[in-house]
Amino acid sequence: MVKVAHVQLCSCCGCLVSLADTYEKLLDVLNSIELVYCQTLADAREIPECDIALVEGSVCLDDHHSLEVAQEVRKKAKIVVALGACAATGGVTRYSKGNQLSKPVHSSFSPLTEVIKVDLAIPGCPPSPEAIVDVITAALNGDMEYLHPFAELAENGSEACGCDVIYKVVNKSLCMGCGTCAAACPTRAIEMEDGRPNIIKELCIKCGACSVQCPRIRFPELIEKIE
Amino acid sequence: MSNRIEISPTTRHEGHAKLILEVDDEGIVSKAYYLNTTPVRGFETMLKGKPAEFAPIAVMRICGICQTTHGIASCEAIENAIDCEVPEDGLLLRELVGIGNRLHSHPLHHLLTVDDFLKPDETELRIELIKLIQRMRKVGQLIVDIVGGEGIHPPNIVIGGMRTNITERAKSKIYYALRQYEKDANELYEKYTWLIERFLDEIGIPDLGAHEYPYIASHTTYGDRYAINWNDVTEIPAQRYYDDEEAKHTTTVQIPLYGGVPAEGGPRARMVRFGSFREGGSAMDINIARAQENLGATYRAFEILDELDLNGKTRAEVVYKDGFGIGVHEAPRATNTHMAEVGKDGRIKSYRIIAASTWNFPIVEKAIEGYPQQYAEVIMRAYDI
Amino acid sequence: MDPFGTYKKVVSARSTLKEVLKKAQDGGIVSTAFIYGLENNLLDGVIVADNAGEFRAIPKVATTPEEVLEAAGTKYTVCPNVSVLKSAVREYGCEKIGVVGTPCQVRAVRKLMKYPIGFRHIPDKISLIIGIFCMENFPYYGLKLIVEEHCGVKMEDVVKLDIGKGKFWVYTKWGETKAVKLKETHPYEQIACHVCTDYTAELADISTGSVGSPDGWSTVFIRTTKGEEIFNKMVEDGYLEVKPIEEVKPGLGLVEKLALTKKEKNLKEIEHRKELGLPVPY
Ligand SMILES: Cc1cc2nc3c(=O)[nH]c(=O)nc-3n(C[C@H](O)[C@H](O)[C@H](O)COP(=O)(O)OP(=O)(O)OC[C@H]3O[C@@H](n4cnc5c(N)ncnc54)[C@H](O)[C@@H]3O)c2cc1C
Ligand code: SF4
Ligand code: SF4
Ligand code: SF4
Repeated sequence: MVKVAHVQLCSCCGCLVSLADTYEKLLDVLNSIELVYCQTLADAREIPECDIALVEGSVCLDDHHSLEVAQEVRKKAKIVVALGACAATGGVTRYSKGNQLSKPVHSSFSPLTEVIKVDLAIPGCPPSPEAIVDVITAALNGDMEYLHPFAELAENGSEACGCDVIYKVVNKSLCMGCGTCAAACPTRAIEMEDGRPNIIKELCIKCGACSVQCPRIRFPELIEKIE
Repeated sequence: MSNRIEISPTTRHEGHAKLILEVDDEGIVSKAYYLNTTPVRGFETMLKGKPAEFAPIAVMRICGICQTTHGIASCEAIENAIDCEVPEDGLLLRELVGIGNRLHSHPLHHLLTVDDFLKPDETELRIELIKLIQRMRKVGQLIVDIVGGEGIHPPNIVIGGMRTNITERAKSKIYYALRQYEKDANELYEKYTWLIERFLDEIGIPDLGAHEYPYIASHTTYGDRYAINWNDVTEIPAQRYYDDEEAKHTTTVQIPLYGGVPAEGGPRARMVRFGSFREGGSAMDINIARAQENLGATYRAFEILDELDLNGKTRAEVVYKDGFGIGVHEAPRATNTHMAEVGKDGRIKSYRIIAASTWNFPIVEKAIEGYPQQYAEVIMRAYDI
Repeated sequence: MDPFGTYKKVVSARSTLKEVLKKAQDGGIVSTAFIYGLENNLLDGVIVADNAGEFRAIPKVATTPEEVLEAAGTKYTVCPNVSVLKSAVREYGCEKIGVVGTPCQVRAVRKLMKYPIGFRHIPDKISLIIGIFCMENFPYYGLKLIVEEHCGVKMEDVVKLDIGKGKFWVYTKWGETKAVKLKETHPYEQIACHVCTDYTAELADISTGSVGSPDGWSTVFIRTTKGEEIFNKMVEDGYLEVKPIEEVKPGLGLVEKLALTKKEKNLKEIEHRKELGLPVPY
C-alpha cells in the first residue's frame, strides 16, 4: 500500500481538518493508504520513508526545527505535496513579520514551495476536502494528466494574490465575467462589479484559489470529457 | 533521584509541543513542563496598521479547528472598541456558528483521545466510534458552512454582526441535522463515559490528573467579557514563569494567570462555573464534561433556531472611532480573549490575543505532576490543547 | 472540425406551460426544466440571471417557480452566475442545484467540479447544468449603446431583446419593434468573447438556443445521462412538446454553420494573440 505522511509546519491545521471533512468517507480514504505519520491523528513521532508527504504550513526560516523538518520531508518522501495555501503560496503567513512575544525573532515565513523542491502544490485556504481527495486519488493512480496543473503550481505558482485575476485575466482581455473567482474566494475578497472581479485587497490572504479556479487562465483538456 | 525524560513531539493534538518530565524512582512525575514548540506566526503584530476588517479573517487562521471562536472574539473586541451594537439576529447567528464549531471540535477531540481508552483488540468499537464521531462532525460543520459561509474559516463572521441571514430551508436543514446530532451525542456520551470509567478502574487511579487550581469561564455557549475580572488576568513571559532553563527558552507561549495562578478553562470549567459539575476530580472528567457539552450546545442551538427571525437584520452599520475593546468567546477548549485598540481611521493600533489553549498549558503541567509518568500524555490530551 | 461537442440527441422543443411561454426567450426550455425540477424535487435551487431593471443582469438563487419565471428571458449582458453558486449551497442550504449559463460559464462550472479547490462541498450538489447557445456577449453599456443609440429606444421601455435572422431586435412596451443589423453591434462585443470557441455549450447536460428551430421553438442538445433523464421525464409528464430536428426549419445545418463560424473566427484570434505573445487559456 502507498505510504502517506501528513506533516504540519507553520499552519493552523485547517487543511487536515478539511481532509477530515470527508466525514463518512474518511475511513475509505484512510483504508486506501497506509498513514505512516500524522502527529495530529496518530502516535508515530518520527517521519518515516514514505511515498507521499502531505505538508501543511509555511516554513519559519528563523526556527531551525522548522527548516530541518522541511528538509527531512524532502529526504523521506518520494512525492512532496504542498497542502494548502500556507505551504503552496504562503497564505496568511505572507503577512507575518515578527516582533511578537514569546518569540520575537520568528519573523520570516516562506511557503514550502520556496524552500524545498515540491512536486505538487494545492492552493486554497483550505483546499476543499474534495480537492484533497482528488489529488490523493490521482497520485495513487499515477494520473499525471490530472495532476499537471498542481505540478505547475509547485514549480512556479508560489506568488499568489487576488491581483492575479486582474493581471492575468482582466488586464489581458480574457475575463468574460463568470464570477467563479468571486465564489472561490474564502474570505469574500472578490465582488463582481460590472461583470468583472473587484478585489478588496485588504481582505486577500494570498491563498491562490481565485486564479487557480479561473477557467481563462488554465483549462485542462480533461475537463472536456463530461461523461 | 529523579530522571528527566522528554516526550517529543507529543501526539494527537493540534500544533507542536513536547513534554519534559522529572520522574522519581517510583515512576511518579515530580515536575512537568509542557512546552509549545509551534513557531510564532505573530498575528498580533501582523494586524498592526491593518484595516480592522482584516482582523477576524487573519486571526481565524490561528487555528483551523476552532477558527470560528477567533473570528467571533476578534469581532467582539473591535465592536467593543467602537461601541458597535450587533443586531439581535446577528448575535443569534453568531452564537449558532460558534456552537456549530463546538459540535465539530468536541467530537474531533473525542476522536483524538479515544485510542487512550480503547484496547488494541477493540477494532470494531473503534470503527463504530469513528463513524459516530464523523457523523456528528458533519452536523457541526454543516452549521458552520451554512451560517458562517465556509466550514473552515467562516467569512460571514464580520465586524458589525454576520454577513447574511439564512433561508428557511437552510434553517430546517440545520434543525433536522441537530435532531440526529442529539441522538448521536447521547450515544457518544454513554460510550465515552463507559470507556473512561473502565480505564480509570483498570489503572486504579480514580483521580488521575487532579489538580487544585481554579477555573476560568465566562459563559456556557457564547462568551461574556463582563463575567471575568480583567484586573485579575495577567500574562507573563515563560522566562519569568519557569525556573527551568530549557522550559524558559523552548516554549513559544506566554503564561496567562488568573488571580496570580494558572486556571483551567474549557468544558469542565464552564460546567463547574455555570452548573453543578464536580470540581477537582480526575482530568478525565474533562473528557466527560466535553461529551456532555455536546448536548447542552445542541439544546441551545434549538432555542436559537426558535428565536431567530429569518428576515431580521444581521449586521449593524460600522462607524470607526478611537477605542479599546475586549472580545471574549468560549472556545471549545477554553476562554478565548482578543483585545483590540482601534483608531478612528478604522485601522488596528494594537492587538493582543490570549488564545484559549494557552490557559491550559500550565494547568496540564500541574495535572500531570503527582501521577505515573506513563499517563502524562493521556492527561495532556484531556485538555484538548 | 466538430461543431457541437458530444451529445446523445438533438431535438426541437417547446414548453407547454403558458406562463413560461409568455415570458421565455424562445421555447422556454430553461425555465420549464427548472420549474419541473423544483416542483418534482429533482432540484431545490437554481441559479438564474435576474433582470435588475433595464436589462441589467444579476445572478439570483431561485427556489420557487415564481422566481424562475421572473428571471426568464435573455439579458444580452454579462451576468456572473457562478458567483452565487456557493451561497446557494451555504446560506440557502440547497443540495440539488440547477445552473444556467453561457458556454463559458458552463465551462467554469465543469472546471470547478473537476478541480474544486475553492469549492468545498459544492461539486456533488450541482444536479443540472443547462447551457445556452452564445455567439458573444456585451458589457452593459455596450448593450445600452446598441439599444439607445443604434435602435433609438430608451432602455426603460424595452420588454424583450433578441438576436435572430442576422439582426438585433428590440421590443418595446409600446408594442414597437426595432432592429439593426448584427454587424452594427460588433463594436460593442466583449473582447474576451473572441477567444471562445464554444457556441452550443458543449459541456452542459442540456444545451439550448433559438437557432435551428422555428420562432417560439428551441433547439435542444441532450448531452449527458443526467440531462437525458430529466428531459425524458419532462416530455413524459407533458411539460415539453418535441419535434425531430430533421423536420423543422431552418434545422441543424444553420446551427452547425454558426458553430463553425465561431470556432474558425475565434481560433484565428487565439493564434493571433499567441503571435503577439499574449496569454490564452490552456
Ligand atoms: C449573451 C447571450 C447570447 C446568446 N446568443 C445566442 C445565439 O447566438 N444563438 C442562440 O440560438 N441563442 C443564443 N442565446 C440563447 C437564447 O437567447 C436563449 O437564452 C435560449 O434559447 C434559452 O431560451 P429559453 O426560452 O429556453 O429560456 P428562458 O426560459 O427564457 O430562460 C433563459 C434563462 O437564461 C438565463 N439568462 C438570461 N440571460 C443570461 C445571461 N446573460 N447569462 C446567463 N444566464 C442568462 C435566464 O435567467 C433564464 O433562466 C444567447 C443568450 C445569451 C445570454
Ligand atoms: S482574492 Fe481571495 S481567493 Fe484570491 S488569493 Fe486573495 S484570498 Fe485567495
Ligand atoms: S474566474 Fe471568471 S470572472 Fe473571475 S477572472 Fe476568471 S473569467 Fe473573470
Ligand atoms: S462568447 Fe463565449 S465567452 Fe463570450 S459570453 Fe458567450 S460563451 Fe461567454
